[in-house]
Amino acid sequence: MKFVPQDFRGWFEAYLAAFNRGDFDGFGAFYADDVIFHGQAAQLRGRDAVLDFYRKVRARLDEQVELVSFAGAEGGRRIAAELRTTLLARRDWLEMPTGPMRAGDKRQSVNIVFYDLHEYKFTRVRSARLWPQPGTPK
Amino acid sequence: MTASERRFRDYMRAFNASDWDALRRFYAADVELIIGNGTTLLGREAIVDFYRNIKSWTSRTIEIVDCFSEGNLLAAELESEFVALTDAPDFPTRPMQRGDRYYINSFALYEFHGSEYRRIRAAVFRREFRSLIGE
Repeated sequence: MKFVPQDFRGWFEAYLAAFNRGDFDGFGAFYADDVIFHGQAAQLRGRDAVLDFYRKVRARLDEQVELVSFAGAEGGRRIAAELRTTLLARRDWLEMPTGPMRAGDKRQSVNIVFYDLHEYKFTRVRSARLWPQPGTPK
Repeated sequence: MTASERRFRDYMRAFNASDWDALRRFYAADVELIIGNGTTLLGREAIVDFYRNIKSWTSRTIEIVDCFSEGNLLAAELESEFVALTDAPDFPTRPMQRGDRYYINSFALYEFHGSEYRRIRAAVFRREFRSLIGE
């Protein structure tokens, strides 16, 4: 029997909660094997590549994502989420893809992220930066 | 298709037709719009003036790739193409010359109350500039 969450938003919030506590098995279970991932800091293909990327990130900084707004499409085919991301560098990461960070630096951004789904797995994740825009005060 | 999705398609039709009177009716008087280049506009008239100004320099058509809604929030994926009708050195994203084309793929969130949009946020996922004379 196919899995269908009773509460679509609650299901997505469980993904974010797993992400925020660094539960790689937990949040990794939401990705399709061949997920296409267009993040702010990386363009990746496949669950393993995404998890490897986030392991590298987690080794250097703490990342917390907060759900600001949510809309789920009928039949669970797509999600639009407005996410506020807070990065806190635990150590220097001068090669950080979205800009160098020093230990203790804190950086916030707000993104609109679209998730395409198939049978409640993310098949494509696309993130568009809402704030801050390049050249605007952080 | 829900009522809010139908209304959104009507809204985009009004936009593409440059029907400013029709467009005005979709906005709350104190609507806030944050667009993909970081600009914030407050109020129905400021938004219509902004779009009217842009359309005096460029032809812009917006295609709805997808839209869906939940509660009082509508999410849309949009594709826009701007074609410069004249040299537009003050075009918000970058200067354009007559004939240049600028394409954006964007994600937008519309918060509505009743039949009016109260808060709109749009972020650019992909952008592509095509110069008439090449770069």
